[in-house]
Amino acid sequence: MDIKAYISSGIIESYVLGLASEEEVSILNCIRKNNVEVEQAIAEAEIALEALADSQAMEMPMQLKEVIWDKLNAEKLIPNQDIEITEHSGVPSEEVNKQISIEGNKATVPLKSYRWAIAASLLFAISIGANIFFYQRNGDHENQLVQKTSLLHKQQSKLAVLQDKWNLVQNPAIKTIPLKGVENKPDYRALVFWDQASKAVYLSLEHMPAAPKGKQYQLWAMVDGKPVNAGVFPLDANEEIASKMLDIPSAQAFAITLEDAGGKDAPTLSALCVMGSI
Amino acid sequence: MSPLHNLSEETLILLLKKKNQQAFSYLYDHYASALFGVICRIVGSSEHAEEVIQDVFVKIWRHIDLFDAEKGRLYTWMINIARNTALDHRKSKAIINEKKNQPLSNIVNREEEQDQSQGEEHTKADFIGFKNILDKLRPEWRILIEMAYYDGYTQQEIAEQLEVPLGTVKTRTRAAFLQLQQLLKEYR
Repeated sequence: MDIKAYISSGIIESYVLGLASEEEVSILNCIRKNNVEVEQAIAEAEIALEALADSQAMEMPMQLKEVIWDKLNAEKLIPNQDIEITEHSGVPSEEVNKQISIEGNKATVPLKSYRWAIAASLLFAISIGANIFFYQRNGDHENQLVQKTSLLHKQQSKLAVLQDKWNLVQNPAIKTIPLKGVENKPDYRALVFWDQASKAVYLSLEHMPAAPKGKQYQLWAMVDGKPVNAGVFPLDANEEIASKMLDIPSAQAFAITLEDAGGKDAPTLSALCVMGSI
Repeated sequence: MSPLHNLSEETLILLLKKKNQQAFSYLYDHYASALFGVICRIVGSSEHAEEVIQDVFVKIWRHIDLFDAEKGRLYTWMINIARNTALDHRKSKAIINEKKNQPLSNIVNREEEQDQSQGEEHTKADFIGFKNILDKLRPEWRILIEMAYYDGYTQQEIAEQLEVPLGTVKTRTRAAFLQLQQLLKEYR
């Protein structure tokens, strides 16, 4: 950056007049730290305004000093120290000595306390940093926990479904009949679990879209070439769970159609989705 | 006179932070009249200025712990408190005046107004008699300092009022400062 051009742009005068924008001020503060010329120019401009104020000083109204001191007292801005409230003309020499000794010590006392202050500030900054770090990590862990828990729940319910089906498959009395998609729905799949002993029928929609609103899947058993109603697949059921349908004593095949909600007495052949023979 | 003489800013700050009465006394004796001068020129009447200077001392006293010597000079810090408090005071008074449908003084014509020496609050009539080093500045430079420093106009507003480009306002302000610094050297 061309410092001469920067200084002659008038930015420093804007700054000391309190007219620089926030952005200009932050740039200026950055530059002044690293540039003696700018720092010097700021100090000169400030001193000019101080000298201007000196040159334009006006005599203070009488008694205002006491009025202001009383005001500071009234606003409880004076700590209760053992300072004697004295006439400003006659001050005990003790007070002055005290101040002179403070003045004399000023090189050592503040330096020490600055060191402590710096150390304390550093510790404080580190502590804040650590807090933020652990707080964020804690937040991360909580998020992970929630994610894992919901994953666990999902897997548990999937496992329950599989176990349910496994039980059906394991049961020697159960016959599993896969139903496959018809010509225009080749990827549809469903499974019928048919208990040969109890004649109970269970249906699981393995790969079929959820029934549109107002529609319901209906299972049919083909008995001697004629469709027999085996019940509608419950609307609220999880597609993958094997739902209990109507009992069917005998059949050669099963089929599913998409019917109006509640089902029909006879299947709509154009709405045939899947079928499978035994 | 204060019993304390020629304190360095550093010592004064230290004593002020201890809320020491002698420090207050020193502060008042050494700076009050200069701060009062700044305030008078902004608020335009010594009556209002008396109110403002009291607020200014309370603010300095109350906020001395916020003063950071690394970021600036104590005197400049106090002048800025005085200026801002006075400008705020003037703004609140200006709002009252506006409600009364009194036209605000047109800043560009202020010189004429001053000559008229009317009792209107915003003219600086009260202070015409006082020596003013700014009078020695080139008039087109002086107006910039006055508008910015005593009237709180932004440089954008100044550019619009005076119908000169913003860049010109900035470079002229700098020129005004340079001349002012020269004049102050001679004054001292």
